[in-house]
Formats: sequence, C-alpha cells, structure tokens
Amino acid sequence: MSDPIAISGIGIVSPLGIGLEAFAPRLFAGDCGIAPLTIFAPNEGGPRLAAQVDGFRPQDYLRPATARRMDRLSQMVASAARMAQDDAGLPIDAGSRDHIGVTVGTCFGGTDVAATFGKVLFGEGPRRVNPILVPNTVMNAPAGHLAIELGVRGVNTTVNHREVSAETAIGHAAALLARGRATAIFSGGGDILSPFAMTVFARFAALSPGDGKEEGAFPFDKRANGLILGEGAAMLCLEPLSRALARGVRPYCLLAGCGMASSPAPPTGWPASPEGSVLAMERALAAAGIEAAQVDVVCASASGAPALDRLEAQAIAQVFAGSRPRVVAEKGALGEGLSSGAARAAAMALSLREQRLAPVVGLKEPIADLDFVRKGDAEKRPLRYGLLNGIAAGGTFVALVFKALEEGEGR
Amino acid sequence: MERRRVVVSGMGTVNAAACGCVDFAQALRQGRSGIGPVSVFDTALYRTHLGGEVRNFRPGELLPRGIPRRHMSRCDLMAMVAACEALGDAGLDPLPQALRQAMGVVIGGGAGGMLECEEVYRRWLEGGPRPSFAPFASFGCAATADHLAATLGLMGPKTTFMTACSSGATAIGYACDLVRDGFAEVMLAGGAEPLCRITYSAFNALQAVDAEPCRPFDKNRQGLNLGEGAAVLVLEEAGHALRRGATIYGEVLGCGVSCDAHHMTAPDPEGGGAILAMSRALADGGLSPRQVDYINAHGTATPTNDPIETKAIKALFGAYAHRLAVSSTKAITGHTLGAAGAIEAVVSLLAIHHRFIPPTLRHEEPDPLCDLDYVSEGARHREVDIVLSNSFAFGGNNTALLFGRYREGGHRDV
Repeated sequence: MSDPIAISGIGIVSPLGIGLEAFAPRLFAGDCGIAPLTIFAPNEGGPRLAAQVDGFRPQDYLRPATARRMDRLSQMVASAARMAQDDAGLPIDAGSRDHIGVTVGTCFGGTDVAATFGKVLFGEGPRRVNPILVPNTVMNAPAGHLAIELGVRGVNTTVNHREVSAETAIGHAAALLARGRATAIFSGGGDILSPFAMTVFARFAALSPGDGKEEGAFPFDKRANGLILGEGAAMLCLEPLSRALARGVRPYCLLAGCGMASSPAPPTGWPASPEGSVLAMERALAAAGIEAAQVDVVCASASGAPALDRLEAQAIAQVFAGSRPRVVAEKGALGEGLSSGAARAAAMALSLREQRLAPVVGLKEPIADLDFVRKGDAEKRPLRYGLLNGIAAGGTFVALVFKALEEGEGR
Repeated sequence: MERRRVVVSGMGTVNAAACGCVDFAQALRQGRSGIGPVSVFDTALYRTHLGGEVRNFRPGELLPRGIPRRHMSRCDLMAMVAACEALGDAGLDPLPQALRQAMGVVIGGGAGGMLECEEVYRRWLEGGPRPSFAPFASFGCAATADHLAATLGLMGPKTTFMTACSSGATAIGYACDLVRDGFAEVMLAGGAEPLCRITYSAFNALQAVDAEPCRPFDKNRQGLNLGEGAAVLVLEEAGHALRRGATIYGEVLGCGVSCDAHHMTAPDPEGGGAILAMSRALADGGLSPRQVDYINAHGTATPTNDPIETKAIKALFGAYAHRLAVSSTKAITGHTLGAAGAIEAVVSLLAIHHRFIPPTLRHEEPDPLCDLDYVSEGARHREVDIVLSNSFAFGGNNTALLFGRYREGGHRDV
C-alpha cells in the first residue's frame, strides 16, 4: 500500500481573515466576506460589492527584500505558503530544499500588472515602458517569488486554467508526490481583485445583479443573479503521511483522489449537460477507491451564477442519487475568488479535522433538493469523506476527494 | 503492475520556419530560418523589428472542413492547425467516438489571446465609444485547450500550464504522467504562443532582444528573437498505439522540473536549477547521462543563458559533455516562449525519427564560455537514439524532457 498524501499545513489570506485562527471561526459562524468594494473605485454603474482582503500586511510573513519585488498576488501566495510551512513545521534546509516543490493555480495572475504595463505601452509608446514591472506580468510570478522566498528548488509549476486553476494545481501536486517527484509541495492558488478583472467580468454580464435586483452572492438560491468577485490566496502543505507523522505532526486530513474531465461548452460559458461534472466526480471517487455513498460532504463550486448552480445541482443529484451528503458552498461567503478552490480545500481540511461544517451563506430558498448546511444545523453524522468540486467556464471539471484521519492515525 | 509507457504517435506544428512537420524537418535539415520583419503589429516605434513570425497564416485553408473558427484568437488557431495535423498524422482523424472519454488535452500557454485584446484595450484606454469585448473570450491561455477539447469533443482531463518559457515542456511532461498513471489513454499535449505587443515590448525593455537575427552560443550574441507558433503532440499509451498499428516517432522517457529559487528574470549563475531539471529527467527515464546523443538546448542567445546552460551541461555530463551534440533551434524558429518546449519536443522527435541533428545557425565565433559541440557546420546525419530537450523560464522555472527511439525492451544502460 502506498503512502497516502496528507495535508499537513494550511496558510490563508482571505476575505474572512488572514491566517487560520482568524479564518476558521468566521467560516464556521457563517460570516460573509462580501462588502462594499473600497480598495479601488468601483466602475460607474458597475457592481459595488466584492469579497476583498483587508488588513493584509505582507511584511508580517515575508522578508522585506523579497516582498518589495512582489506584486500583491505574489505577496498573498508567498505569505500563505509561509504560514503553511510554519503550520506544518516543515524544515527547509540545504538537505530538503531541492525536494520541496510548488504548484500554484491562478486565473488572472499578474494581469493587472500587465494592464499597468500596457497603459504606458499604448499611451506613451514602447520605449517608455517600465522593465521593473515585467517579471510580475507573467502567470508564474507567484510560484517563482514563493520559491525564492522559501528557497525551494523542487518541481515548480503554475496552472492557469480559469476558475479550476487551484483545484488542478492541488490534484497535480498529489500526483507529483505519489510519483516521488517531491517530498513535500506547497500547493494552492490565488487571485486578486483588479479594475481589469472587474471590467472584463462586467462586460461579459457575469456579475451580480444580472437581473437588476438584489446585489449579492446567492449560491443555489432562487435569487442567484450572478457572481460577486473575490480575492485571496490559500496554500496547503502536502506531503506523504508517513513524513508528516515522522515529524510528530498530525495532518488535517488526507487527499485521497483527484478526477478531471472536460465537456464541450461555449467559450466562457457553461455546458448544457452535467456530464463533465459527473465524470470528474466519478473519476475522483474511483481514484480514492470509494463509492459515492461513502461521501459525507460535498463542497460545491456554485457561485450564484444561475446556469452554473443549476448544472452543479443536477450533477450532484446524479452522482449521489442513492445517498444524501451534506452540501456546502463557500462562494456565498468568499465570493468567486477565481482560485477560491484553494481556500475551499482549506475549509474542507478544517471541516474534516474539526468535524464541523460551514453554513451556505446567501442561501434562503434553494433551487434544488440537496442537504444544504444551514446556520444552526447540528452535525448529523461523522465526517469521513469530503468531495470538492471545481467547475470552470468553458467546460473544465476537477473533483478532489479528502479523507479524515482515522482514530489513532496520526496519534 | 506493468509500467505504462508513453509514445508519440502524431505531431503537428506551425512556426516561423515551417508549416507542418514535413516542412519543419526540411527546414531543420537545411538550416532554414524563419526570422524576419514582424508584421502582425507595427514595430516602427520599437527598438527592434525582427521576429519569428508565422507569415501568410491562413487557418481557413489549413484546417479541415467543419472545424469552426469563431471566437478563436491567432494563438488558438495556430494550436488548432497543429492539433489537426497531429491527429491526422496519428491516424486519429476522424477521432473514434469511443476514445473521447479517455482522451484529454494539456496545453502550455503564454500570451493566449493577448494580440487581439491589446487592440481592444488600447481603444478602451483612449476612451470614446465602448469597444467590443468579444476578443476577451479568448484572452486567457486556457482558451486554447478549451477550443481544442470542445471542437474534438474530448471528455478526458484538460488543463493549461503557464510557466512562461517552459510552459510547453511542462504541459507535455504532465500529460505524459496522466497517461502513465492511467487517467487517459491518449492526450493531446503541446504549447502555443502568439507574437504580441506586450511581450515584444517587455523583452525589449529587459534588453534581452537582439536587433539582428540571433546567434545562440556565439561570442557576439546579443539576445533572442521572439517568435510565435504552436506544436501539438499525440501522446499515447504504448500498447494502445501498437495495437492500432500507429507510427511511433519515439517515447517520452522522462520529465524533470525544478526551480532556480534565485531571481525572477536572471538565471542562477551556477545553473543549479538547470542541472536539477536535467538530472531529474534522466532519473525519471532510468538513463545515465552518457546515453544521451543530443541535447536540444534552451539556447536563447542571451548573454547569460548560453554560458550558464553550457556550464550546467558540463556539470552534469562531465567529460562526456564534449562528445555530445548540443544545438539551439531558436535561430531557426525564434524563441516562441510558451510554445518553445513543445516545438522543440517536435524537433527532438524528428531528430530521432529521421536520424539527424539540427544545426545551430549563425554560430560563427566561438565563446570560451560556450565550448561544446553546437553543430554549427549544418545538420548532421547520424543515428539519434536519446534526446534531452531543455526549457528554462522567467520565474526560475526549468523543465527538461527526455525522448528516445521506441524499443520494445526499453533503453537499459549497458
């Protein structure tokens, strides 16, 4: 039997707080991270709300010399990784650093930096552009900065595939570890709010309130009328269970399987059929070697985009036809953070360790007969297996299966 | 359980030197460079004017009937042309319905739909009437894999890597693992990159560009020439390919990925990350350094890359480094960034299949810091069994791929 992959550390910079100690109580209390946008001026007539990160001080986590070379996203990703390292008690030294890797998922990456660069290029001409900006315009900047900050020279990749970038990066990390391509990997993702992203999403009519009614993120709710953009970063420390246990660290949970699928969809749109999502979930269950009925909780990708929510509700109902797992959907609290799969994976890891679930924020009248977690719900059963869905516009699906540590496992 | 091996059963490419693999093999053998004046945008105000542009690109004529082209950027279309060539080459056109569930796509991206979006952005910045944002549907580099999968009806794993200049190689390495691990029987894997103003001005701002055609490993090298293009490989589980009698160009033997953890744009002067990537690829393939016949170098022709890459090769290969053939085909294609690793994977497999080593063009004056055999005299016709292909990127991202002639019993060190 091969060594299972464990989540031994978590770092998070989120609209619900920075660091697990701030994040966890607000998550489980059902607090909402969505508020009026203040970090830049909202577009005229555009959305007023966003799930922004407040009070983030990169200097609390990063060396000043490296932090000042980073853009805001790289600072968040690198800080989250530093927190995850501390949490996991993972030593990084001359002997280990070549075997510690990084996989980061990001949807927009340094696009806001590229937009700033482009402003000078198109306004003043190509000879006036600022070379200092260039390194942060590329999608792999956070992973590169993070490697420099922590001094790790292991496998290092960046997944850049819309809203499932972080889920894919986490599944990728587990596969790399299983193949022995690294002894530990910092894996997750992040995205930031920017006027650029806000404008593009607004122009594609994806944002709430698409129906002109109430502005907000209402996953699986009848009021759902578009998404609220969010930001933040979360990084997990993934490593073989035996290595974490050997250091005396009790991991949060195991990452038991990953399933990926594609399904034809219009560009930036959702597929008509739930087939792709069903395939991804079934493949993840097969990879974990379990039946659908063994899953106790599903963390949905639903964001309040009506077409996505309906598609996912159908897919969940189909895969779990013979059982009734609890369903959580954290984009009502975190917004559509684009790479929020990493924060949701962190939430799942916490849930499996604490045996607690976060209520679906923004849900009043459900569109589907699923067992949504509501405020004040008492836990109905032990949480052993959790499945996390990632769904991206354009028809890309990733599902991750997490498993709670057994009694006695990890002491 | 028997180890699943991964072979390449089809290839396609569009780049400045050639359209299609037959044409590309000829360009590589003849040392025919595609570097010339850039025309996809006006370079009048830029410091340099050359690039590896895909000239007279007519996707409508190159794509089979029935392939939709709506909403696709130049980048997406180059990848679509390469993918269709690869599938036809692999004998998978039309694609068997039964294969769709077990087939996915992994693309290494770069600027994606940036070229088209730049025009929208420029008008947006100028104010005035609101421009159409339609090109932004294809803005991110994920659009390429999405279009390929949607057009072909693929239901297997799909994703996009963006590790700058090593994206294409990283994508191939990951797709290979997906087949090895049994998550797919067949994968389309490759990279695509368009020339665009943002990238062109960024590399100029970093003073990494030579205003003249680039001279990899030459003493007077001044920098790189940016290029564009796409390459897509059909990666297939060996038994699957053999059972259907496919042509096998070679085997993907290994992949090594590392990070310099040194500087965002400058390589580690000791080549530490490069050595790690190359040695990991060899270890993954279970080969020793002296089994390698040819290294398709990253060889950008920047003042720093070439001597550091040379140093790294010498550190890993020891005295054998001087008996190896090392060449950079970037003087032929230009540096195609996100596509480079994939285009150079095609070069590596063409070298194995057609038994030749492509030359390094314009390598004329030796540099004491670059003292390997760079195949400067022209293509060399000889047996080529094992090829290592290097891709190094901003962010310190390094990927090395190891390819070999397909042998039933594998390549054991004797």
